[in-house]
Amino acid sequence: MPPKGARKSKTTSEERDGAIRVDALKPTIDLASEIWSQLDRGEIPRMRLPLRTKQNIQFQMREGVWRLGRALGTRSARKLDGALMLLRTFYLIDFINEMARDGKTSTLRELYYISEGWEESKFHSEDESNLLIEDLEVMCERLREDFRLHPEENGASIIGDLTLRETNRKGMVKKFNCRDDVGDGGYSLPFNVEKEKIEFVSTGAKFIIAIECGGMVDRLAENGFDEQNDALLLHLKGQPARSTRRFLKRLNEELKLPVVVFTDGDPWSFRIFASVAFGAIKTAHISQYLATPAAEFLGVTASDIENYKLPSDQLTEQDIRALQAELTDPRFKTTEWRSEIELMLKNGKKAEQQSLAKYGLNYVTETYLPEKLTEMGVL
Amino acid sequence: MPPARSLAQELAAKQREISVAEFFERNRQILGFDNPLRALLTTVKEAVDNALDACEEAGVLPDIRIEIVKEAGDRIHVAVDDNGPGILRREIPNVFGRLLYGSRFHANRQSRGQQGIGISAAVLYAGLTTARPARVTSKVEEEEAAHVLDLLIDTQKNLPKVVREELALWDRPHGTKVELFLKAKYQRGRQSPFDYLKGTAIVNPHARLTLVEPDGTRVTYERVSTEVPPLPKETPPHPYGLELGELGYRLKSSNRPTLAECLTRDFAGVSPRACREVLDQAGLKGKEKPADLHGDALEKLLAALHQVPLVPPSAESLSPIGPMLIKRGLRNVLGEVRPDFYAPPVSRPPKVRGGAPFAVEVGLVYGGGLPADQPIQLLRFANRVPLLFQQGACAITTAVQNLDWRRYGLDHKGGTGLPTGPCLVLVHVASTKVPFTSEAKEAIAEDPEIDKELTLALQAAARHLKTHLSRRSRREFAEEKFAIIQKILPKLAAKTSAIVHKPIPDLTPVITKIMDIVNVETTVSPDSGRVAVRTEVTNYTPRARVLEVFLEMPREQFASGSFSPTPDGTDAELGRAWWTLEKLVPSARTTVTVTFPKGTEVETSDLSWYIAGIDEGHVLGAEPQPGDWDVRLPRAVIEAAEAGLEPDPTTEEQEVDYDAAEGSAKVEDDE
Repeated sequence: MPPKGARKSKTTSEERDGAIRVDALKPTIDLASEIWSQLDRGEIPRMRLPLRTKQNIQFQMREGVWRLGRALGTRSARKLDGALMLLRTFYLIDFINEMARDGKTSTLRELYYISEGWEESKFHSEDESNLLIEDLEVMCERLREDFRLHPEENGASIIGDLTLRETNRKGMVKKFNCRDDVGDGGYSLPFNVEKEKIEFVSTGAKFIIAIECGGMVDRLAENGFDEQNDALLLHLKGQPARSTRRFLKRLNEELKLPVVVFTDGDPWSFRIFASVAFGAIKTAHISQYLATPAAEFLGVTASDIENYKLPSDQLTEQDIRALQAELTDPRFKTTEWRSEIELMLKNGKKAEQQSLAKYGLNYVTETYLPEKLTEMGVL
Repeated sequence: MPPARSLAQELAAKQREISVAEFFERNRQILGFDNPLRALLTTVKEAVDNALDACEEAGVLPDIRIEIVKEAGDRIHVAVDDNGPGILRREIPNVFGRLLYGSRFHANRQSRGQQGIGISAAVLYAGLTTARPARVTSKVEEEEAAHVLDLLIDTQKNLPKVVREELALWDRPHGTKVELFLKAKYQRGRQSPFDYLKGTAIVNPHARLTLVEPDGTRVTYERVSTEVPPLPKETPPHPYGLELGELGYRLKSSNRPTLAECLTRDFAGVSPRACREVLDQAGLKGKEKPADLHGDALEKLLAALHQVPLVPPSAESLSPIGPMLIKRGLRNVLGEVRPDFYAPPVSRPPKVRGGAPFAVEVGLVYGGGLPADQPIQLLRFANRVPLLFQQGACAITTAVQNLDWRRYGLDHKGGTGLPTGPCLVLVHVASTKVPFTSEAKEAIAEDPEIDKELTLALQAAARHLKTHLSRRSRREFAEEKFAIIQKILPKLAAKTSAIVHKPIPDLTPVITKIMDIVNVETTVSPDSGRVAVRTEVTNYTPRARVLEVFLEMPREQFASGSFSPTPDGTDAELGRAWWTLEKLVPSARTTVTVTFPKGTEVETSDLSWYIAGIDEGHVLGAEPQPGDWDVRLPRAVIEAAEAGLEPDPTTEEQEVDYDAAEGSAKVEDDE
């Protein structure tokens, strides 16, 4: 196997959407072909793939995202574990190609159960199958969605003036506006948000506000914040799923909309922002499809807690450990982040987004957000 | 001096007033009756030890039954009966009703009971705690009926008192049964009669032992050997280790006419020549009457006896269990835990300490259902009797603890205490005089001579363990490879071929590259009434091989075996045969068969295979040929055969194993 994934650098969404997607499954056939040739030549079958060890995942300062390094590992049939993983890989590839022929998709969990029929190469936990899928993503430079594998829907949604075309499961193309044609819950994102599934038609919005909690999305929608300020409200639903991050990146890149992230003011919410903007260690091999380096953090910041005198809770020991870990995290290496984290540690306080309700239900839309957005130059 | 004499008599009279009951009370602990649990164990143990000794002396295969019944309150009824020779009517009261009465105390040979305290102490304890007499039933072969005697011990006089007597019919042709009521408690577990019996069964594989527990559970250990152990010969004492008092006593009680005759006949190891030397050194003539020697002369004689080299004490007075029976005994009792490995038991040749011969034997069992996370089980035995108490104070335990088991593949934290692992170690010390730490005979005293032998025997057993463990890990390594080539590789080939629509490639070259070993595997199977031992040699390396194999096995078995193909050479004296095998191309296999007559007891482990012509790292199931074997075929023969063979393929460069890489695919998920 030529060491792909690792060396491949900047693949933008546009490139992906062009040539490569013509035959999403060809790389899987190439893998089988390579192993067959090795067997035919009398060589011990093996694959080389970029190591996803901590040491081999680096933060690319220039691109502002996590990326895999150049270190390679070998998966060889010389050892039982390696042989088993190779065999599994081809059971998986066979299954993926079978789904493509039959026009089916499968959830990650279903795949795990499908492997019951794979005898000794069946998976012993869903973690095992998920990791092998990630290996395949790395080796083939494809997303698992290309392999027709997806997590269960997580219900992330968007509200605002965005018109898009979705090809539904029956192959029918529906066009609708995410403000006027949907219910109060907004447009619920499918697991596949790629171009063949969703096309952006037009938008009247000037920016996107990505929000951690459902309650705050509802507050902004009820107060008509999206219409008054030409904003798209994207519900992250905690740590955002891959599809949510991918969707946000497409909105940012294709519609050139600025992105601000609005979360609780605690160390865990800082990490939500970081994974939106810079990618996560676990998905370092596909950061180029998921990370939105242009995203900016709106709040709640440690200084907001002081400036707006927000009701707050004491930091727990775990919170403190998380903040200290963030001080060594390359994603938070900027001066602004360092001073935010240090301030939070110094004050020992955290606060939720919804604590802004202290000043009434309209305070967030009439005072807090306009002030913050103006400060950031978005409004 | 009359007054002094009368004072002495007075003192003696006073001393006699210390009744055996008082003696017993003061020595409960050393006699083994200090609590109800232990009292029961001691009672069972003394009765069974006596029964075993009696059977062996009579050359009878022991069949012993122990029944324990719970009576009202804290009383227990114990009955032990055997198929021994029986006891003559007139001896019964003395054997069971008198302390320090026995036939074995002065006998200079190995036996279970020694001091003659045991069973009568149990009778005494029973009488003291329940006031009920012991009932002894005994029948000798010559008599029609059994004598049934109820007897108590007169604690004032240390004399038996028969309180009731009758004759009764008994279904055993001969044997003895003793029944006791005593204050006692029964429970299973460590240091219980159950444990004692289990240990006894291991080291007495010729005995059939049945235990009926109070709840009616019946445990039977069937005999696995039908040979009564040869009765150890009674030998005269050896002068080594003799002390002055005993020498004087032996001379005084001798009825030989001259000292020279006394020395050569009443003592072991004194040849006429050595006798001459001893007498010369001691300045004696040899014509003296033995009883006439005292004082200075006696001391000089003893010194000379200790200085002049004598024939070492004979081991005929010992009855070691022997490697084969140790293995059978262990199998019989441990069968249910299915150990993976029975090390060949170690029987050290007898050695001497203090004039008494002794021999150390060690058995070792590993794996199966033995608990892996606990200290190893140590079973201690002295003269075929399990030692259940005082483990920490015993020389056996010390020797086990002092061995660094880490070197032999067991967990041994800091090299102190007992090692941890699924392992059981049996240690047997046989001697005419086992140096116990106390009268309770529960632990063997530290002694440099014994310790040396214990250590040597344990080391030998531990080496077997180490060999087993390293073979096992190599076997596991090979099993992993077999799993790859037999199960995974064919599927991988089928899967990829199907995906790319191409034929399945020939896998032989890949298989030999993955395995890269020559496998030697032996199986035993019946072959039309005979026993066939087949050894397959398979070349799973990527190059053709010309190999020599060497077989070594016990001489007796070797003599009865027939070989196919015909060996290139044999040495019946050493039990060896050797072959130069036909050239084996990759994946080729050849078989060597040894056939034995019907009923031959043979295990794969009886055959040792050695191999030459290949680096030992590439061989499984055979060892490299030992350097001192002088049967190597001319080098030229091998070189000629190997001419034109392709060279060994170079090994691949070192690569990081993706699936074993530290933290691989285990990165923290912060999503």
